[in-house]
Amino acid sequence: MTLIHDTRYLFMRSLKKLIRNPILLFFSLFQPIIFLLLFTQLFSKFASIPDFPAESYLAFATPGILLQNAFSSALQSGTSIVDDLDSGYLHKMLVTPVSRSAILLGRLTSDAFRVTIQSLIILGLAYLLGTSVVTGIGGLLLILATIAFFGLAWSGISLAIGLRTKNSESVFGIGAFLTFPLLFMSTALTPLSFMPEWIQNVSNFNPISYTVNAVRALMLNGYEWNTIIAAYAVIGLIAVLTLGATLYLFRKVIN
Amino acid sequence: MPEIIKVDNLIQVYGDGTKAVDDISFTIREGEFFGFLGPNGAGKSTTIKILTTLLAKTSGSVTVAGYNVDKEPQNIRKIIGVQSQETVIDADLTGRENLTLQGHFQQMRSNMLRERVDELLKLMDLQEVADKRARNYSGGMKKRLDLASILVHKPKLLFLDEPTTGLDPQSRNVIWEYLEKLNKEENITMFLTTQYMEEADRLCRKLSIIDNGRIVISGSPKELKQQVGADSIKLSYENDESKNVTNEKAKKILGEIQGVTNILDSDGGLTVYAKNAGFIIPDIVRAFDKQKIKLTSVNFSSPTLDDIFLKHTGRRIRTEELVQNPKGGIFSRRRR
Repeated sequence: MTLIHDTRYLFMRSLKKLIRNPILLFFSLFQPIIFLLLFTQLFSKFASIPDFPAESYLAFATPGILLQNAFSSALQSGTSIVDDLDSGYLHKMLVTPVSRSAILLGRLTSDAFRVTIQSLIILGLAYLLGTSVVTGIGGLLLILATIAFFGLAWSGISLAIGLRTKNSESVFGIGAFLTFPLLFMSTALTPLSFMPEWIQNVSNFNPISYTVNAVRALMLNGYEWNTIIAAYAVIGLIAVLTLGATLYLFRKVIN
Repeated sequence: MPEIIKVDNLIQVYGDGTKAVDDISFTIREGEFFGFLGPNGAGKSTTIKILTTLLAKTSGSVTVAGYNVDKEPQNIRKIIGVQSQETVIDADLTGRENLTLQGHFQQMRSNMLRERVDELLKLMDLQEVADKRARNYSGGMKKRLDLASILVHKPKLLFLDEPTTGLDPQSRNVIWEYLEKLNKEENITMFLTTQYMEEADRLCRKLSIIDNGRIVISGSPKELKQQVGADSIKLSYENDESKNVTNEKAKKILGEIQGVTNILDSDGGLTVYAKNAGFIIPDIVRAFDKQKIKLTSVNFSSPTLDDIFLKHTGRRIRTEELVQNPKGGIFSRRRR
């Protein structure tokens, strides 16, 4: 009971802080929107290459851009915990009986909520540009859930880095360092068959590929359950690792 | 009055081997205004961190309101309020939201909480800015909001870690008045750490001076002053030769005057301690005259806490250092 009660108020706090700092929202949405508007134009001829697996490059790349958006907003999760550590607010909470788990849960639930809203914005823009979800509302909800789940697993990385280094620059630095290689060496922006062999090999082990394949299936083809279940298994594994690390480091910080 | 804090043989050793608290024991009774006085790094913040359940102690026994700090921290957290030296509020939230959130952390019911928040906003004179974001508050307003935020759940015991460090004299006075009022009218026990002698003298009814992790002396400000047992005379004089030579010479002269109990260096001169110092000032003046040392000023004062501090720690705290006190208290990552 206390856990739900406290999580609710900490969730609200995170959202209020986010809405009142629109610059943060702008920064995390800026890149995906540039990709959506410019990158997809730049590569639009891709679609005319034989064997391209989608009608347009926009339709193909939108799932990848959704993932990129989840990446960049998850990065801010780690910096927010560093902010609370730096300002002393975390310890101000710790001298009250507030549920310790709620401090992390409030953070994570607000991250998931935020990435869902941002995904809707991107999907809305993509729709205006001419691509839609073939699986309809059910598929849309599953896409949002998949992205949110992926975002949570990724928040775990940035939270862990934040708790370990206690430094916002490190969170951004390490985050950016991870983001682009992982994104480019996955099926997020390029079909597997178009890649050189060595990148194909990397891509086959890249969790981004699994996630993006599931989202892409839901957007373009239909409910391909094998792909979807594989994605959830991979994200689940990452979540266990990253959130486990976060929990461990959080316990160390609060003791 | 029953005891609200009981500390026995508390020791805190950090991972790198630093002994921050070295076997201290003390008790604080309900309703008391207790002051922990000491320089930076003396062990004040470490002690507060242990008492407020933020830090696990190395050894010793500590109870707060009868609850064991290791076994029953949740019970302690419900009855204490803790203010850190740096002002800690959420600048993105309004004053009202800051207070309400603290009430939620304490599981207060919504209707009760709303009333309490209004009451505190009024008490701290923050009504007009209650719905503005705290980011835009002045320093004094932020500090008052911080103080209000630790009072939402009507704590029995307040921990105040250097509550007025960095404030201008006027804001400091306002905070002092609130603290006195809370102690007297609501019978809230106060545990205060400070580097300001004036603050300790004005607010505290019982004091402990801590230095290098040990309590060097405890008592009421009055008792402590009586213990020093001597008035002080601050002398400054012109140095014609190099300063050391004159200092030595001056000390020698003063040492020969009857009634002088101690001579210590102080900024730009010497401080002489003596019982009934008023009577020996003429002797001092005559002796200096005879040796052709020109006195530039003679200041006489009754014992202050500053003298006690100097006597027990061998150091005097300068006001300038206090103003430029570096950031870092019990909530910050820099540990003391």
